[in-house]
Amino acid sequence: MKSTTINSKRSLLEKIRLLPYQEKGAAAIFILPFMIGFLLLNIFPIIYSFVISFMDYNTLKPLSEVSFIGFQNYFRIMDDPIALSAFVKSFQYTLVYVPGVMIFGFLLALLLNRTFALRGIARTMILMPYVANVVAVALIWSILLNPTNGPVNQFLSLLGVENLPLWLVGVDTALPTIALINVWQSLAFQTIVFLAAIQGVDKSLYEAAVIDGANKWQKIFHVTLPSISPTTFFLLVTSIIGSFQNYATVRMLTNGGPGNASRVISLNIYEEAFALNHYSYASAQAIVLFLIVLVLTIIQWKGQKRWVHY
Amino acid sequence: MGSLLKKVSFNGFMLLIGLMMIIPFVFMISASLKAPADVFINPLNIIPDEIYTFNYETLFNHDYYFKWYWNSIRVVILTVVFRGAFVTMAAYAFARLEFKGKELLFLLLLSAMMIPQDTTIVARFLLYGIMGLNNTQWAIILPATFDVFFIFLLRQFFMGIPKDLSEAAIIDGASHFGIYFKIMIPLSIPVLITMTLFTFIWTWNDFVNPFIFISDIDKQLVTVGLEYFQLEAGQNYALQMAGSCLIVLIPMALFAFLQKYFIEGITMTGVKG
Repeated sequence: MKSTTINSKRSLLEKIRLLPYQEKGAAAIFILPFMIGFLLLNIFPIIYSFVISFMDYNTLKPLSEVSFIGFQNYFRIMDDPIALSAFVKSFQYTLVYVPGVMIFGFLLALLLNRTFALRGIARTMILMPYVANVVAVALIWSILLNPTNGPVNQFLSLLGVENLPLWLVGVDTALPTIALINVWQSLAFQTIVFLAAIQGVDKSLYEAAVIDGANKWQKIFHVTLPSISPTTFFLLVTSIIGSFQNYATVRMLTNGGPGNASRVISLNIYEEAFALNHYSYASAQAIVLFLIVLVLTIIQWKGQKRWVHY
Repeated sequence: MGSLLKKVSFNGFMLLIGLMMIIPFVFMISASLKAPADVFINPLNIIPDEIYTFNYETLFNHDYYFKWYWNSIRVVILTVVFRGAFVTMAAYAFARLEFKGKELLFLLLLSAMMIPQDTTIVARFLLYGIMGLNNTQWAIILPATFDVFFIFLLRQFFMGIPKDLSEAAIIDGASHFGIYFKIMIPLSIPVLITMTLFTFIWTWNDFVNPFIFISDIDKQLVTVGLEYFQLEAGQNYALQMAGSCLIVLIPMALFAFLQKYFIEGITMTGVKG
């Protein structure tokens, strides 16, 4: 009896010792630490977001006093003109930001794909804004774009421009200005990815196109663009997702102003949650945002058959 | 002759684009070396008539500025160490080991990556509060440790390492730990540099997480610290610029030298994504 327990004990230790030698055992050891942490710190919050969006956690109170109220937080969004306008502002922002990064990223990649003497230095300069700190960037641009004495408008008036733009303090210009500043800052990512894709295009396709008498532009439209369409698709999906996460820059540049002219949904969510303690209501808005992003992604996924060639 | 002119003008054109991208930083450096009253007087005058160093002296005597610096560096180092350990192990399993449900699990991880961070910020704030992480730097470090993007990056890299190497090691009686430590990790130095560089830049420039999770000013990191610093400096834009300079130029210098790793990292995840 005793010897069998010792035996089974020994065999258990032996089994543990042998785990890294077996594929399944090793897989468990290698993957579990990550999965536990990931579930606890990153997946659990996703589930919890859904749960609190159905609760009345809209004041500072102990969790034990919180109760479920069904879809009320969601209905409330429908009657909240500020939240609704914030969703619209986010869309408007996306409509400037996404075409901006996609088109400029592609053009810069085309230019950087050519061989020229100053290529290395030009590339470094073009990529620089990507690594700059957002608070510093916001500060620099709000000084540069100061409507009365900022360098940009001083320069424009030297050129004889009369109706100087109000940039970040104008009701109509604030949102597009923020979007363009973000285009400038994040452009490097799209440029690098496009550049790698362009460099991967099969050279013989260009040669064939030249034989068929294609000019420079025809080569871009009929060879380059179709060949890199999977990359374009990837960038489009990630840029759209990224375009809804602009809290930091909007907060620094305008804090939603003037009035609510640049109050996008991410800013609205943070304000509802952390300035007003409307945790459940903010979560409901965040879930709606998530569903919008999801639907946009699914539409693109379905639509890719028409223009993405793998 | 014509082609030479074309070459020169193309180089000039590209340099002009490059200059347009960095001109805000040139202005930042220039303004940081001016007296506060001179910033707006002639901003197009890039090289100040007189170099004014008092802004930097104020900065060096600030109570918290370098504390924030140190905090950020510490958080970066701890994130790199933890991330390095957990992510490389999981990536090894996804790249080299067969187990039930592997494809499904990987797909789940990837779809979790598609969820915007803003969606979960409220829930994270409440949960990390319950876990006792709020107002500690662990609220930044631990969630960043379990990051799917880097699993994806490292798995991609590991899959590119020839299988013969690990098969030979298995025949020699090595365990998977042996293969991981003695073969995979030493061969992965370039991608680990990429990971470190990304971690540095993203953590250094992150605003939202330290802003939401850390409330004490002496525990704060550089980005939110810089915002406090700006509020404190008020209308003194020259001083604000000096404060920005020392925070912006560090990642830029690092990036200028290690660009290759950065570009490879983006390319590896972007194109095959």
